[in-house]
Amino acid sequence: MRVVNMYAEVNSEICTGCKICEKVCPTLSIKIFGEKKEKRAVVDLNTCAGCGACVERCDFEGAIALKTLEESKIIGVDPRLVDEKEIAELCFEAKIHPEQIVCFCTGTRADEVAAAILLGATSPEEISIKTGVRTGCKVECIEPILRLLKAAGIEPKPVEKGWQWYGITPTVWDISEEIIQKYSARGFYFDEDKALLKKLLDSAK
Amino acid sequence: MVVKLEKPVRPLLPKQSRYGPDPDHIKTRACDLENIVSLRVRELFRDIPENIYPSERGIKAVREATVDALANVDMSMIKPEDSVNILGSHHGFLLAGGEPYAEMLKAIKDVIAEKTGSENIRLKVGVGLRFRESDEYIRRFGLDEYFGKGKAKGVTPIDEGIPIETEIGTLYGIKKCYDADWIVHAHNSDVREIHFHRHVDRAVKPFGMSYARIETRSTYHHNLGPRGANFVARAIFNSEFVQNKWTFATFLKPTPAGIAGVDADNDLFALDERLTIDNFRYYGKILSLLSRIDECIVVLDFQAPIPYVFSAGMIFANLSASSVDIFDLDYPLPGYTWYTEAFYGKDDRPLIPDTPPVNPAIKAMVINYAWGGYPSVFWAKMIPTIVVGEHQADVFEKDPQNIEFMRHAVVAKDLQTAIEFAARIADTDKILIFDGAPGAINVSTPLAEELVEKTFEVNKAVEQKSMPKWCRQRGMKIGDKI
Repeated sequence: MRVVNMYAEVNSEICTGCKICEKVCPTLSIKIFGEKKEKRAVVDLNTCAGCGACVERCDFEGAIALKTLEESKIIGVDPRLVDEKEIAELCFEAKIHPEQIVCFCTGTRADEVAAAILLGATSPEEISIKTGVRTGCKVECIEPILRLLKAAGIEPKPVEKGWQWYGITPTVWDISEEIIQKYSARGFYFDEDKALLKKLLDSAK
Repeated sequence: MVVKLEKPVRPLLPKQSRYGPDPDHIKTRACDLENIVSLRVRELFRDIPENIYPSERGIKAVREATVDALANVDMSMIKPEDSVNILGSHHGFLLAGGEPYAEMLKAIKDVIAEKTGSENIRLKVGVGLRFRESDEYIRRFGLDEYFGKGKAKGVTPIDEGIPIETEIGTLYGIKKCYDADWIVHAHNSDVREIHFHRHVDRAVKPFGMSYARIETRSTYHHNLGPRGANFVARAIFNSEFVQNKWTFATFLKPTPAGIAGVDADNDLFALDERLTIDNFRYYGKILSLLSRIDECIVVLDFQAPIPYVFSAGMIFANLSASSVDIFDLDYPLPGYTWYTEAFYGKDDRPLIPDTPPVNPAIKAMVINYAWGGYPSVFWAKMIPTIVVGEHQADVFEKDPQNIEFMRHAVVAKDLQTAIEFAARIADTDKILIFDGAPGAINVSTPLAEELVEKTFEVNKAVEQKSMPKWCRQRGMKIGDKI
């Protein structure tokens, strides 16, 4: 669940239509329209979560700003709309506890992301629009989302020419025994951390 | 031992930033409260090396130390026609006011140009979660002019990425960091986020963080576990892609008392081992001392997000994590780290019973001055929190990373009112101020006396018990280094 109290506003006098905002928006809410010198960014207020990615990466000072919504709104998916067992199965397949927080900014938990997937979301962007996840810092939570999608048998494609995300990365469960042994004496306690993570998962089962 | 309680050391003036309140709102500083005194860090731990900065020699001491440190570094791989990216991190600018780090970066550029003849030297400075922060520092310290038009830039984890094949699979770096023939790693040895990196490969961390894309950073904080997290940095650093561009590292060396020098090496792991020993000795003692505080009210009063405000070189996040010894790898989870936070359920209780709490000695938190730009709701949920003034509350209300923060905190009209309220909640007169006072800890007199009393025992325990254990856990040959 995410409270949305801000939105991005474009100053078309300054915007050059350079497309950086479009490449970084986690909800695909800002797009460039127009031809050649008339190109300008346009914000879809229905899906903009006011995360500020566009504002923070725009190269043209004053071209985009965050404004306060007159009335804040709440976006989110209620996990109770989906069978609890299905959510749990999906989370366990991804090796994530259903109550585990996946987004520290919005407090979104794995069960909400799983519910969004089970209700039809097929990409990180759709999940962000539905739950608000990935619209705080925009940095830390992409991988558990991709893991949950993969667990559901979905392999989303990165946005064409976008920089939103590139791909799924390894987890501790993928690291080979050879690498674990090679580095365990250097302070990388992979086996011990796996035991901790397993304990967390077992606590939900 | 005898340690003088001095009048409070004043913190730096508040800085204008898009991430914090207008400095004009910061009318009263926590060190101005009644009964606040200062403990000089070097009075507590007398083995801490002398500062080169601040010192009578001024900023030129940092330049000289950088030039000296680079004297024996091999730069022969860089040819006059080659391009070089000096890679930096925003964090260096939070040390001793930022000028030493800026001067070190300028000196590195000059030495490379002199030794190699290269004229195409750029500066790329990574960020935490505040994407404009490095650009603010680049302007403030004139690095844009020093490096030349367009050659000094902040880079962020949402900028265009580049895949990097590593021994554990594909990770992702920021393309702009690697768009030169060669890279130079220009960082600092401050322990800072030890609750995350656990001082395992501390010197390597920016390869998995400041210079990395969101996928890599998310891997760090979600995929590898609380003690294996920093392996992403080693994996990227060891990759063929990075090694083909690698030249050397130059590190500013802070201690809890100031800047002690500059170190440089072509061998990053050798440098890491040197700074690790120093950090165990100096920061290990300070954090061990602070973690022995029985009870206190913390006051945050510095131009940084909540976790990064600091006192005696230790950031607030370190203290909040110190319900266990966070240097000791036998403890899987510190009292605060993102793995720990993730393991709290919907009822705000740990999902597994052996999760350590946020340091229970922190009875209340007063925020007189702090920035947004870091998800901080967890602390407000775990510690009774009083925010001073609507201007400070507004920072959190409008921060996409902290929209829920003020649901868990109250607002006081002024600092004095906040402290009085906190004292009623906490039932203590012990106050610990995180205001970045140079070389000192600003505290209330009763807490100063407690810290002085505990220092001798901490010094002995860290030297004789903790340091050998911490070194052993990381495979370091301790021998005569300790």
